[in-house]
Amino acid sequence: MNPVSKDFAPPLKLIAPFFRFGVVFYLFSMMALLFFEPSFNYQQMGVAGWVHLFLLGFVMMIIFGAMAQLIPVVLEVGHAVVDVYYIILPLLATGVIVMVAGFWFMPALLPYGGLLVLIAMIIFAFENVATLKKTELQTLTVSTVKWSNGYLLLGILTGFAIALGLAGDLAIDVSLMLKAHVYAVIGGYVILTIIGLSLILIPMFSLAHGFDETAINRAFKLVITGVGIVFVGALIGLEWMMYIGYAVTFSGVFFYIWQIYIIAKLTVRKELDVWAKSMIFAFATFIVAILLGFVYFLAGGQNVLHAAVWFLFLGFISSMITGHLYKIVPFLVWFERFSPLVGKEKVPMLHEMYSKEGAAMMFNFTVVGVLSGGLGLLFESDILFKAGGSFLFVGGIFLFITMNKMLAYGE
Amino acid sequence: MCSISKENVFDAISTVIDPEVGFNLVEMGLIYDAIIDEETCNVHVIMTLSTQGCPLHQMIKQWVYEAVERIEDVGTVEVEVVWEPAWNISMADDNVKKALGGM
Repeated sequence: MNPVSKDFAPPLKLIAPFFRFGVVFYLFSMMALLFFEPSFNYQQMGVAGWVHLFLLGFVMMIIFGAMAQLIPVVLEVGHAVVDVYYIILPLLATGVIVMVAGFWFMPALLPYGGLLVLIAMIIFAFENVATLKKTELQTLTVSTVKWSNGYLLLGILTGFAIALGLAGDLAIDVSLMLKAHVYAVIGGYVILTIIGLSLILIPMFSLAHGFDETAINRAFKLVITGVGIVFVGALIGLEWMMYIGYAVTFSGVFFYIWQIYIIAKLTVRKELDVWAKSMIFAFATFIVAILLGFVYFLAGGQNVLHAAVWFLFLGFISSMITGHLYKIVPFLVWFERFSPLVGKEKVPMLHEMYSKEGAAMMFNFTVVGVLSGGLGLLFESDILFKAGGSFLFVGGIFLFITMNKMLAYGE
Repeated sequence: MCSISKENVFDAISTVIDPEVGFNLVEMGLIYDAIIDEETCNVHVIMTLSTQGCPLHQMIKQWVYEAVERIEDVGTVEVEVVWEPAWNISMADDNVKKALGGM
């Protein structure tokens, strides 16, 4: 029997700040979009600063908070040392701020910010490893958690080497290291983690059961292998090897999308709440990003690459995260404040714990923003890109407001 | 002789609501059986959950236990969670299927 009990669940006061900070960083990163032109180069320091604000401040922050809650669910054991999450949060938040300041204003700050992030992530990865050692489960999901943490460590180490290189403290080929870093972090950690978590959460929230898992097993293996090939190819400078890695990763992603299609066909819940809409939008933009990625590999074009990454980051990754926040945060608040009252007094349902109107505004503004901004990048239209940034910023404000109301519910 | 019926047990458990979907466990079809010892009034509930990774697993089990324990003259209560047969929407009442969009 699953021994997942309240004893294993970290307290709300530990997890909630990750979501609060994550949403604030999201809001800032949407605000920062207003200061960019659509014809940028992804190797510019300003762009790198924005990418780190978004990926470390928002994506990683939320993933860390979610993992604090979900690791015990996945592994069926309690955390090894859950209190380290109290240290991880300030280290990561400060590290992000210093790093972004380094990218935008003073490159000499980069190693300091990078070091803080490095320490935060090493603590996170080692706590995960210690927790993994406690579980007797040998499932593919457990194996995936191990691999993703390994890639995270590799990503951080290469990132720190880049920070030293940019500050002039280390003689390395920054562009080669950058490819290894980007692929280890985004493909090896973010995408692999999102695939793993979504395979637990999507069937749970959609009440889909009895589906064949062959496709997702293949997806995990192919993505893990593909990322490894690209990482090694980038480090030793073999471009053909990297292309093989890209192809293997793409085939893994194809199996993942196929698995999601299988689950979608078996979905019992048909109601289109903000979570369901966000999932549909996330996978639609994921497919757009993949198609644009193919076009880039076949025909080239920086604008196509930028649009592909835009739809991947702000369409797929963002919507996967924000959509799930409207499920996970009410659950955490309910679990902490209302579950002890069950059977004693009337308790709210989870869907009653957030503003439907606020969530709808967040979703609608975000959808328009992502589409407009993506088209702006593709066609290098300043007005479309700026409009996209503005819509995303307003969507971010609604996310911030609804998130704070959810966290304050029943206080 | 025990006066508690299976219906009494199911009525008691129907006060337990899944906070995610908003329906009680009985109308969700999650309660498979309730075995009542006619001599001792001991109750053995056999139930499942809609998903194996449910973070509320132990709490829901506890709520079922407490709901049955509130029945007058009940003996010892035991709640067993099983995964076979696996739950599916066809086990739920029609009002649940309709509300979830499955009909």
